[in-house]
Amino acid sequence: MSSMELVVGLIQIVISAALINNFVLHYFVGICPFLGVSRRVDMAFGMGCAVTFVISLAAFLSWTFTYYILRPGAPLPAWVWHAVGGDASVSIDLSVLSYILYIFVIASSVQFVEMYVRKYFPALYKSFGVFLPLITTNCAILFACLEIMKHLQDPTELWSLPQALALALGGGIGFTIAISLMAGLREELDLCDVPKPFKGPGITLIIAGIMAMAFMGFTGMDKGVHAALSSLFQ
Amino acid sequence: MNQTPTRGNYLTQAWLVILLALLYGGALAAVQMGLGERIQKNKQNETYDQIPQLVPGADKAKTVEHEIQGQNHKHAIVYEARNQQGTRLGWVLPGSGQGFADRIELLIGLDPPLATILGLYVLDQKETPGLGNYITSAEKFRDQFSGKQTDPPLAVVKMDPDPKHEIQAITGATISSTSVSQIVNHTIENLRQPILDLPATAQH
Amino acid sequence: MASSEPTALERLVNGILPENPIYRQLLGMCPVLAVTAGMRPAMTMAAATAAVLISANIMISLIRGLLKPHLRILVFTLTIATFVTIADRFLAAFMYQMSKQLGPYVPLIIVNCLIISRCEICASKQGLRIAIADAVGMSLGFTLALASIATVRELLGAGTWFGLPVLAESWWPRWGIMVLPPGAFLALGLLLATAQWFTQRRTANSHK
Repeated sequence: MSSMELVVGLIQIVISAALINNFVLHYFVGICPFLGVSRRVDMAFGMGCAVTFVISLAAFLSWTFTYYILRPGAPLPAWVWHAVGGDASVSIDLSVLSYILYIFVIASSVQFVEMYVRKYFPALYKSFGVFLPLITTNCAILFACLEIMKHLQDPTELWSLPQALALALGGGIGFTIAISLMAGLREELDLCDVPKPFKGPGITLIIAGIMAMAFMGFTGMDKGVHAALSSLFQ
Repeated sequence: MNQTPTRGNYLTQAWLVILLALLYGGALAAVQMGLGERIQKNKQNETYDQIPQLVPGADKAKTVEHEIQGQNHKHAIVYEARNQQGTRLGWVLPGSGQGFADRIELLIGLDPPLATILGLYVLDQKETPGLGNYITSAEKFRDQFSGKQTDPPLAVVKMDPDPKHEIQAITGATISSTSVSQIVNHTIENLRQPILDLPATAQH
Repeated sequence: MASSEPTALERLVNGILPENPIYRQLLGMCPVLAVTAGMRPAMTMAAATAAVLISANIMISLIRGLLKPHLRILVFTLTIATFVTIADRFLAAFMYQMSKQLGPYVPLIIVNCLIISRCEICASKQGLRIAIADAVGMSLGFTLALASIATVRELLGAGTWFGLPVLAESWWPRWGIMVLPPGAFLALGLLLATAQWFTQRRTANSHK
């Protein structure tokens, strides 16, 4: 594959993850922060950036671990097995440990980002409060790791590291777009006359539903994007 | 009791975690050993169970897998369908590609010279429910593929299809229908020569 | 704060409606929206979550004396991840098609806030009987919530229930949107609002 095709493929993954298969509005991950997000767009945007950073870091680590250690037929266990004199025809499959590994990777990534933000952006750290460690339970990050694992199962079509990072980045961007939009809408919502039963999560979900409908309009776009980008780079 | 834990304290507290890790690791290994084969069989059967439908008369237990390299330089596994006596009855090719919403995965049944399509099965798709979804649920759509010639490649029309070369699209799901035909065409074109190059097998 | 802890039976009943994990606590929304397009995937997910929740509560309750404050979240996470892996493997072995349909949402049970919060609030402090009762109650509540949303979405969107045809095409046109992502949000939002309405009416009546 030429390098141009690779770049087009990566851009397609990013756009697909950010808009067409938006993590929040299509795959329903990251709902908890999405529903509870503050009414301030700048806070929401900051949260989105933090999540994007954590997803990318977690994706990098989980791709590396899965590619070299966990997937069926991975090189590292095969090397160790061979070194202790095991039968070379047996293919080692450590994927049963995947979920435990991913959750630890995520917890460590969040811890790392927390330390980094506390040291270099103390004001930002204070304004985040308890939300930073809560990113660990954000489904979106584990979901990104699981999607990457899914693409490392078929030995004839393995995803490379750039593709995994593209998915993570696109997912994070999509999450940021979704919660920034929701925060902006909630700002407006304070001025509206919402019926009592709907106040709070009720109306937020209805708005999310309408947003999801709007994002459905992006379906089928990635084929066209691919064609446009290919012809652009030809 | 509120003592600030020292470094040593953390280590002594970690013995529980280590113990649990070993315990859970053992449990997972047991589960993997017990269920691993079954899961593998399930994955394999997804394809194998379809082979008798895709190539009529085939015995799924006699299927032979071949790993070949397609014209696109990617490796692919194709399935040679044989009857109970071991005679080659046809081929089953897995194909995949972009549909309208997401990837579509197919199994295509063909005769030994790869000239006629014998059957089609949709393994996986995420098309629009009620529209593109019909590529799976509407048997009429899938049955169209049986008996079609592979050369020249299939074309999709909205009505009055030519019985040997054309497919009628599902109303309201033109893109999904076209995607399926395109995947069929590309897969056959990609794998035709490498399959025909495989050595002919002797009867068992 | 009540002077006596709730009994096992009280905890069990508590989890079903008064402290329903979805409608009251708003925890564990992610799988709720994703798997409720039909009753069958919804009930499979409910069973898997129940299995993990009950097993995790039992395990944590058994080792509650050994838990150190700083490492307890780690222990909870490790335990839950293990049980989820086991549940996922069992599903892949015995219900392969359903496992494929549920896809990544079974492992996402690990980050389901419901389970960690039950471990933290109840199992790490209470004995075995109470922990089990709490887990069973919460599981029933979760199942009830999933069933309500899945019923609405499947009946309106596909006219079936558990895959069996219920509403003939001529009586009720298919609202395709209901089995798609927007329908999930709309169904949950409307059902939440209904639950809120009932609660608000009850509080209003009791104040009269």
